[in-house]
Amino acid sequence: MTVSVESQKTIDAYLAELRRQLREFMNEDANDIVEEIRAHILDKTSGASSTEKIAETLAALGTPAELAGRYRTDELFRRAQRTRSPLVSLHSLFRWATLSLTGIVVFLVSVVGYTLGGALVLFVVAKLIFPRATGLWESHNPDGTWSLGLSSSSGGTPPPGAHDLLGWWLVLIGLALGPLLIVLTFRFGSWSIRRFWRPRAWPRA
Amino acid sequence: MEDSRPSPAPDSAEKWEIQLRKGSLELAILASLWEGSLYGLEILRHLESSSDLVVVEGTIYPLLSRLRALGLVDSEWVESDSGHPRKYYRLTAAGRRRALEMARVWEQFSGRMASLLEPLKKGSPPKKEPPLSLKEKS
Repeated sequence: MTVSVESQKTIDAYLAELRRQLREFMNEDANDIVEEIRAHILDKTSGASSTEKIAETLAALGTPAELAGRYRTDELFRRAQRTRSPLVSLHSLFRWATLSLTGIVVFLVSVVGYTLGGALVLFVVAKLIFPRATGLWESHNPDGTWSLGLSSSSGGTPPPGAHDLLGWWLVLIGLALGPLLIVLTFRFGSWSIRRFWRPRAWPRA
Repeated sequence: MEDSRPSPAPDSAEKWEIQLRKGSLELAILASLWEGSLYGLEILRHLESSSDLVVVEGTIYPLLSRLRALGLVDSEWVESDSGHPRKYYRLTAAGRRRALEMARVWEQFSGRMASLLEPLKKGSPPKKEPPLSLKEKS
């Protein structure tokens, strides 16, 4: 087999870029993919060393980013089923949201869940730092309306005329509910992926 | 007044055909491996020569990787005379069962579709429908 130095450089550059695009894969898996694509290119271009033939072969495979992207969707979902990190899970759900309506719904519910859970934990932290200014405030306004709100101000003073309903209970409730909400949201995401996402390897019956 | 019904997009038949081909690709790959193990490029050539499935080269390898993750095919690297190893795929027991199951569904479906499409072969023009106002009165 004769491959000119120039052609070899083109192939190597393509494979190096593909390898870079597959950086989130396990080393072994990424190397396996790259070696298989290398074998494909060499088989397709064997006997023909023309730069046109090599360019044609590489074009048929798509750009390294496109090719890696086709592998990545599957890999993301496989990782989502193994992971214990909400960030990895959310990343996979975002990818799912770009693919289907179910994905969009699951992603939005998860974003709301994580945001509420995270906010509760933040309020606990704020309560510990600014105990007087953080609380679930109940206020009877001069115009006769009534309002209820969870807030924290860094000024260190409670909202005027407001009464804190929870006091230090906020810490206890926030510590119980915040992490619980985060865990439940995470489980909801994993469960949804297992339940609703199927690799489209064959048409659904 | 102008007819406001949407007319079918000129490329909709083409899109449908693409979806149909995509949907049958997995069965075609499993069927290609029925007789024995093949490497990626051999599968591509087999599909092109024995069916009119023209497969975009960049899609077959991720698809094979997915079939492997699903446990339907297995793979191993084999040294070759060409100077570089090649990754051969073969059906697993689950892959064989799946291929048979898909082939059965395919046969059944295509058989029924064929009888449904029988009238279209006659090529006779459709009967004129009565105007809507007459149908409503009757």
